[in-house]
Amino acid sequence: MNTGGWIFMTISLALVWGTAIWAYTRLLTAPRETSDDSE
Amino acid sequence: MSGKKMEWGTRVGVILAVAGSAVGLGNFLRFPGQAAAHGGGAFMIPYICALVFLALPIGWAEWAMARHGGAKGFHSGPGILGVAGRGRLTRYLGVLAVLIPMVVYMYYVYIEAWCLRYAWEYLTGGVQLNGTITEQVAESARFFGEATGTDKDGVLNMSALFWLVVVALNIVLVYRGLKGGIEKFCQFALPAMAILATIVLIRVLTLGTPDPANPEQNVLNGLGYLWNPDFSKLTSFETWLAAAGQIFFSLSVGFGVILNYASYLKRKDDIALSGFTASATNELFEVGFGGLITITAAFVFLGVSGIGAGFGLGFQTLPVVFEQMGIAGRWIGFAWFFLLFLAAITSSISMLQPVKAFFEEALGISSGKAIALVSIICGLGSFWVIWFSKNMVALDAMDFWVGTFCIFLLATVQVICFGWIWGVDRGAAELDQGALMKIPRFFFFIMKYVAPVYLLVVLIGFIAIDLRPKLGTMQPVALWTLLIIGAVVALLVTVVAIGERRWRAAGLDLDGKQP
Repeated sequence: MNTGGWIFMTISLALVWGTAIWAYTRLLTAPRETSDDSE
Repeated sequence: MSGKKMEWGTRVGVILAVAGSAVGLGNFLRFPGQAAAHGGGAFMIPYICALVFLALPIGWAEWAMARHGGAKGFHSGPGILGVAGRGRLTRYLGVLAVLIPMVVYMYYVYIEAWCLRYAWEYLTGGVQLNGTITEQVAESARFFGEATGTDKDGVLNMSALFWLVVVALNIVLVYRGLKGGIEKFCQFALPAMAILATIVLIRVLTLGTPDPANPEQNVLNGLGYLWNPDFSKLTSFETWLAAAGQIFFSLSVGFGVILNYASYLKRKDDIALSGFTASATNELFEVGFGGLITITAAFVFLGVSGIGAGFGLGFQTLPVVFEQMGIAGRWIGFAWFFLLFLAAITSSISMLQPVKAFFEEALGISSGKAIALVSIICGLGSFWVIWFSKNMVALDAMDFWVGTFCIFLLATVQVICFGWIWGVDRGAAELDQGALMKIPRFFFFIMKYVAPVYLLVVLIGFIAIDLRPKLGTMQPVALWTLLIIGAVVALLVTVVAIGERRWRAAGLDLDGKQP
């Protein structure tokens, strides 16, 4: 693998892992869902 | 409207269900081949552009229109797009959102049966390839043809039995409803897929250089085969078309699934972060696993000549790869094919559900009757695919016309509905409602101006590059398949007409006239 390959792979993996971790962290630390109310 | 109210159990549940719909065979088999063929690492540039300027905005638009339509009592494409598009034209164009999951399901369950068959064979020690690598490659191809029935037409093959099992599983899961069926299953399946993918990934990345006689066939070079950039490909329109196609195919955008799944959410439920998280989950599987496993494993043992794409890579090349792994190969093979099976079934149940919901709400029938009706129609279609299995002619025809062309069409309809008829301001307000993340405002500019243009360019490019050659080379079976698709469209249009009358009689706001 050449330098370009390392760069693209590292950045791509960092992006996908980073966004997934950010998204799930935000989701799981959001205020709890309340019980149903009507529309 | 019929039946008891369906709803999701938890916030994470709907995300895992949408992610399950998106994560499928394409993440592991299609993405690596597309990336390697269209510039390697450089493919990530058009890929991320398509993600940011097409898939994410259109995905968010789907979530918003779906929740809005769901609040008015609609849970299928015709109803929801009739509301968002304010009238009959978009209501009937919404037929695409039922046609696509319905027809794709017909051939997808067949492929799902292959995955289960292979997983079973590995579990029971049934896949044994002997001799030199060349002989093993030939044997693997023979096994594939025999196991899947693609070596000849007709249904008398063992995979037909697995098809029955798979269809029954799909029906049971969808019949059990959103909370008790789809959500519960995805809450098990997605983490299981992550674990199985990690196991296979670790085995692949620790392969080193298994054959001292071919030292260039090693893990780093395998990774390099996919990731080394070839910037010259970026000047080719086909590369940008391939990236857009891959993103659509991968994220289930323009599929009719999100339109249904998100319609069961309440006004106070978040859709902004949910849509983003589902997409992020899909990308994790696609780039984080698909981008590292498949081609690397094939390269390490078979070199450049062993690299294929799609079904060939997944079902013919990889069994040869697993054979080189010794005793562990059987278990890695099982992990791989069971992973593919879980990826496939979480996608197929997401296709069955919107079709069932459509028949329920258009005809006013019970969940059980709707599932029975859908199962019969899809069963007949699937039977057609299995019968004309030689070289997958019927499957390819359905995949091209409905699984690719119609998806681009539906996405175009959706983005125009959202940006130009319902309106970006109304859409933005809907997305902000209950939002756990603030969508940057420039995305609404993208939804209104950039996405439609990008999509039209992709559609025109697709017609010019892929469609015209296809029309010139259609075999009789493919033509008959197209006719069958036409018959399904006619059926769905008729059901929409029946539904329209019922919805008006029930006083529903089917044209979106009320706020």
